[in-house]
Amino acid sequence: MVLRMDYRTDVWVDWCPGCGDYGILTALQKALAELGLKPWEVAIVSGIGCSGKTPHFIYANGVHTLHGRAIPFATGLKLARPDLKVIIDGGDGDLLGIGAGHFVALGRRNLDVTVLIHDNQVYGLTKGQASPTLPAGVKTKALPKPNLQDAVNPIALAVASGYTFVARAYAMDVNHLKELIKLAVNHKGSAVIDILQPCVTYNDLYTTEWYRRRVYKLDSEPGWDPVVRDPSEREEKASRALEKAREWGDRVPVGIFYWDQTREPFEERLARRIPSYLDSPPALQPIERGGAPVVDAERLKRIFSGYLVRRRR
Amino acid sequence: MGVVREVRFLVGGPQGSGLETAAQVLTVAYAMEGYRVYSTREYFSNIKGRHSYINVRVSHRQAWAPREEPHVIAAIDAETVLTHFREAAPGTVIVYDTAASKVGPDRVPSMEREEKARVKETLSRAGYPASVEGAVRYAEAELGARPLPLDYQALLRSLAGELGIPATRARRFLNTIPLAAIASLTGLELDALRAGFERRFRGRQGVVEGNMKLAEIVYDTVASAGLRGALKLEPPPEGPSEYFIVSGNDVVAMGKVAGGLRLQTYYPITPAADESFTLEAHENLEADGESLGGVVVFQTEDEIAAISAAIGGALAGARAATATSGPGFDLMVEALGWAGINEVPVVVTLYQRGGPSTGMPTRGSQQDLAAALFSGHGEFPRIVLSSGDHEEAFYDAIKAMNWAERYQTPVIHVLDKFLANSIVTLPPPSLEGVKIDRGLLAANPGPDYRRFDKSGGPISPRAFVGQEGVVMWYTGDEHDEYGHIDEDPVNRLRMHEARMRKLELAAEEIPEEGERAILYGDGGDFLLVGWGSVKGAALEALETLRGEGLRGAYLHLRVFEPFPSGYVSEVLSSYPPGRVIAVEASYNAMAARLVAQHTGRRIERFILKWTGRPIYVGELARAVTRIVEGGSVREVLTYGA
Repeated sequence: MVLRMDYRTDVWVDWCPGCGDYGILTALQKALAELGLKPWEVAIVSGIGCSGKTPHFIYANGVHTLHGRAIPFATGLKLARPDLKVIIDGGDGDLLGIGAGHFVALGRRNLDVTVLIHDNQVYGLTKGQASPTLPAGVKTKALPKPNLQDAVNPIALAVASGYTFVARAYAMDVNHLKELIKLAVNHKGSAVIDILQPCVTYNDLYTTEWYRRRVYKLDSEPGWDPVVRDPSEREEKASRALEKAREWGDRVPVGIFYWDQTREPFEERLARRIPSYLDSPPALQPIERGGAPVVDAERLKRIFSGYLVRRRR
Repeated sequence: MGVVREVRFLVGGPQGSGLETAAQVLTVAYAMEGYRVYSTREYFSNIKGRHSYINVRVSHRQAWAPREEPHVIAAIDAETVLTHFREAAPGTVIVYDTAASKVGPDRVPSMEREEKARVKETLSRAGYPASVEGAVRYAEAELGARPLPLDYQALLRSLAGELGIPATRARRFLNTIPLAAIASLTGLELDALRAGFERRFRGRQGVVEGNMKLAEIVYDTVASAGLRGALKLEPPPEGPSEYFIVSGNDVVAMGKVAGGLRLQTYYPITPAADESFTLEAHENLEADGESLGGVVVFQTEDEIAAISAAIGGALAGARAATATSGPGFDLMVEALGWAGINEVPVVVTLYQRGGPSTGMPTRGSQQDLAAALFSGHGEFPRIVLSSGDHEEAFYDAIKAMNWAERYQTPVIHVLDKFLANSIVTLPPPSLEGVKIDRGLLAANPGPDYRRFDKSGGPISPRAFVGQEGVVMWYTGDEHDEYGHIDEDPVNRLRMHEARMRKLELAAEEIPEEGERAILYGDGGDFLLVGWGSVKGAALEALETLRGEGLRGAYLHLRVFEPFPSGYVSEVLSSYPPGRVIAVEASYNAMAARLVAQHTGRRIERFILKWTGRPIYVGELARAVTRIVEGGSVREVLTYGA
C-alpha cells in the first residue's frame, strides 16, 4: 500500500449497488482531501453494520469498533490526542439504539469530534429490522409486521443533548454533504450530521424517489440563521431548531439546524484544570527516561506528599 | 497492667458520624510516633445512619489483616455496643455513652432483625437485660471486659463551656470522644494527638483547638477512671523515618502514576471509585514546581464507555486503564474481547466485592477470579494478576501496564474490597530497578505499515494512531496484517495462533517461582494455598500456629494467566493431599479449581469465607488446627459483624 492523499484504499467496497453509503464515503473522502488533512491526522471510528466498514475504505487511521461503542472509543482516542481529527461513522441503530447513551453523553461534553449518522431506518446487515428512526406503523418489505415502536428524532435529540453543530444531509447530494462535513470537522465542539440515505435492499418506503421529491435546503428558507454567536441566543436558536426538526413528511429540511460557536469544547475545559494538557496530552507525554519511570521515587513522594507522614521521634 | 506491643481497637458508630476522620487522626498520630498501623473498615451501602466500624491495629510491625480480641471497643452509639460486645476478650475496655445504657436492640432501627434476635437471645439466655447496659455487664462478667462508661453529653457540655459555644455546636466533636479515649488508654501523649489533628485539619486551627480541648477533658476523665495508659504501648523500634498512609485504592493510583498511566477512565462503583478520585486529585503531576505532565481522569456514562475510552487512549499510545468492580467488569467484557483481537494494551483494575449481582456492594470477596479469567466469547490472550497487600499492589500496577504493552494484550489486575479499604503505613516504595517496558515499537514505520505484521513473531511492531507518516486500521473482525477484515481460513489460522502464542511467550518470560507464585516458609506439616488479601491473614496465622507447635507454609498465587503450573505442581507434590488447604473468600474456592485444572492436583481441604467480612487471623489459625489435627475437610469462617 502506498500513501494515498485521495483517501482511498484498495479494499473492495462491498455495499449493495445503489446504497447511500457510497455517497457518504465519497463526500467524506472529498471533504478530507479538500480540508488538506494528512491521513495520519485523521481517525475514522465506526461501529457495527454496513456503515461500520467505512474506515476500511478510507486511507486514514481507521478504528472499526463494537456495536454502539464508536463514540466512547473515539472519545478515548481524542482525549489522548486532542490534535487528531476524529470522525465517527455509525448507523442509526448503532448511535441512536444500542449506543444512544453514548450519543447523549457526547453532547453533554462538547468534545471536538464529528458524528456522521448513516440514517436509513433499518438494520441492513441483519436483513432489514426496524431501526430507531423508522416511524411506527410502517411496514418495509423486510418487516413481517408493521413497526410498533415510534421513531426517535435525531436532530431534536442532538440539540437536547447539547451538540453544538447539528445538521442533516441527504446522502445522494454528495456536494452538499461534503460541505457540511467540512464545516462539522472544523467546528470546535461536538458536531453531528444526520445523513438520510436509502437502503436499496430492505427499505422500500424511504427511497431515492421519496427523498428526491421532499428534500429541501434550509439555506433556501428566507431568514434561516442557526448560528449562536452569543450565549444569550442559545435558547431561542435551540427552540427554533427543535421546531424545525419536527418537520417531516411532504417537506424534509436538510442543512444546519443549530450551530453554537460559543460553548467551550471539552478539551479546553480539561486544559483549564490541567494546564499542560493541550501541549502534552496523555499519548505524547514522556513516561520513561532510559527505561526508568519519569515519576521516580522522590517525585512520587512529592506528588503524593499529602499521604506522607514523618516520624516525630 | 503491662506494656504491650500491639493495641487493637474497634471504633464504631453510624455511617457519617466521623468515624473515618477519627481513625485517620489516630493513624497519623501513631504513625508519627513510629508505630505501624493497619485499619480496615466495614460499612453498609448507605450514606448516613447505618452501622459502620473500623478495626485498627497499632503495632511494632506492620499488620496486614484484622485479628480478633480487640483491646478496646469504642462506641459512638448504642448499636456499636450491641453489635460488638460479644467480641470482647479478657481486659477489653468498652468505651460507651452512659446515656445509651437503657437502649436495647428494639430501639435501634438500623440494626438488622437477625442481629437483633441474636443479641437478645445471647443476653436473655445468660440472664442479662437486652440493652447496652446488659451487653456491657455480659461482656464484663462472662468475657472479662472492663467497662469505661462516659457521659458523652456531659463531656460535650464541658467542652461547650470551655469554648463558649452552644452545646448543639459542640456535638460535631462527638467522634473525638471515643478517639481520645483510645488515645488516652494507649498512653498517647497529647502533643502526639495534636499532631494528628493538625495534619487532618490543616489550616483549620479552630477545629484543631476544639478537638484538643475535648481530648484533654476525655484524658482527664479516663485518668480519673484509673485507665489512662492502661494499654500503654511499648516505645516503637527504629524504623523508616517516613511512611505513606495509604489505602489499597490509593496505592494502586500511586503505582499507576509511577508506571506512566496517563488516561484513567471510570464509572462510579464501590469499592473501585476511590482509586480514580485519588488520581483525579493528583491529575497535575507536579513536584516542587516541576510539571511532569498530567493524568486525564475521565468519568464516563457507563462501564462500557469506560473500557472503550481506555482502549481508544491506548491505541493512541497513552498508557490507559480503567478501574471497576464486578458489576462494572461484566459490562466491560465485550470490549475486552475487542482489545484481545486488536492486541491493545489496556489495563482493567478489578476490585472484587460480594456478588453476584449487586450482592453486598460494600463487602469483600474473592468470587470474580473466574470472571477475570474466562469472561468473554471467543479465545484471546489475557494476563491476570492479583495482589496480596499494598506493597504488591503498588508494583503490580506498574507491572500490569508493562505486561500489557510487552504482550500487547489486556491485563486484568485483580484486587478486592478488603485491600481497597484497608489503610496501612507503607514506607515510600523504592523505584530502584523498576523499568517502564513499552514493548516492541515499530522503527520508522512508513505508508506501508502493517499493524498486525506477524513475520517477525507473534508480537507485531506497534505504531500509534496519530503517529506521523503512518496510518493503521483496527477492527473487531478477524483481520489481515493491515487490520482490514479478512475471513480467509489460512489468514485466520495464522492470526489466531499468533495472538494465542503471545501468552505462551509470557509464560516463557515471566518466572513462575517468586513472580507468579511465592512460597512463604517451607516444609512443615501442612500447606496453605491462597491468593489476594488472604496473604496477610495466612502469614500471621502460620506464626500463631508455629507458637502452638504446628508448622506450615503458605503458597501465594500471584498470576493466574499464565498459570505457574510447574512450580505449583512441584510445591504441592511435597505435601500429602490431606495437608494441602485452600484458603479463599468464596464458596467455590476458584483458585483451588484452577490449580487442579493446570496441575492435575486436586486440593481436598478448604477454609472458606463468604460473609463478605475479611478473614481474621485467629479464626484462620483455629480452622487450620481443626483440619490438620481434627480431621476436618472443610471449614467455613464466619467471624465479624
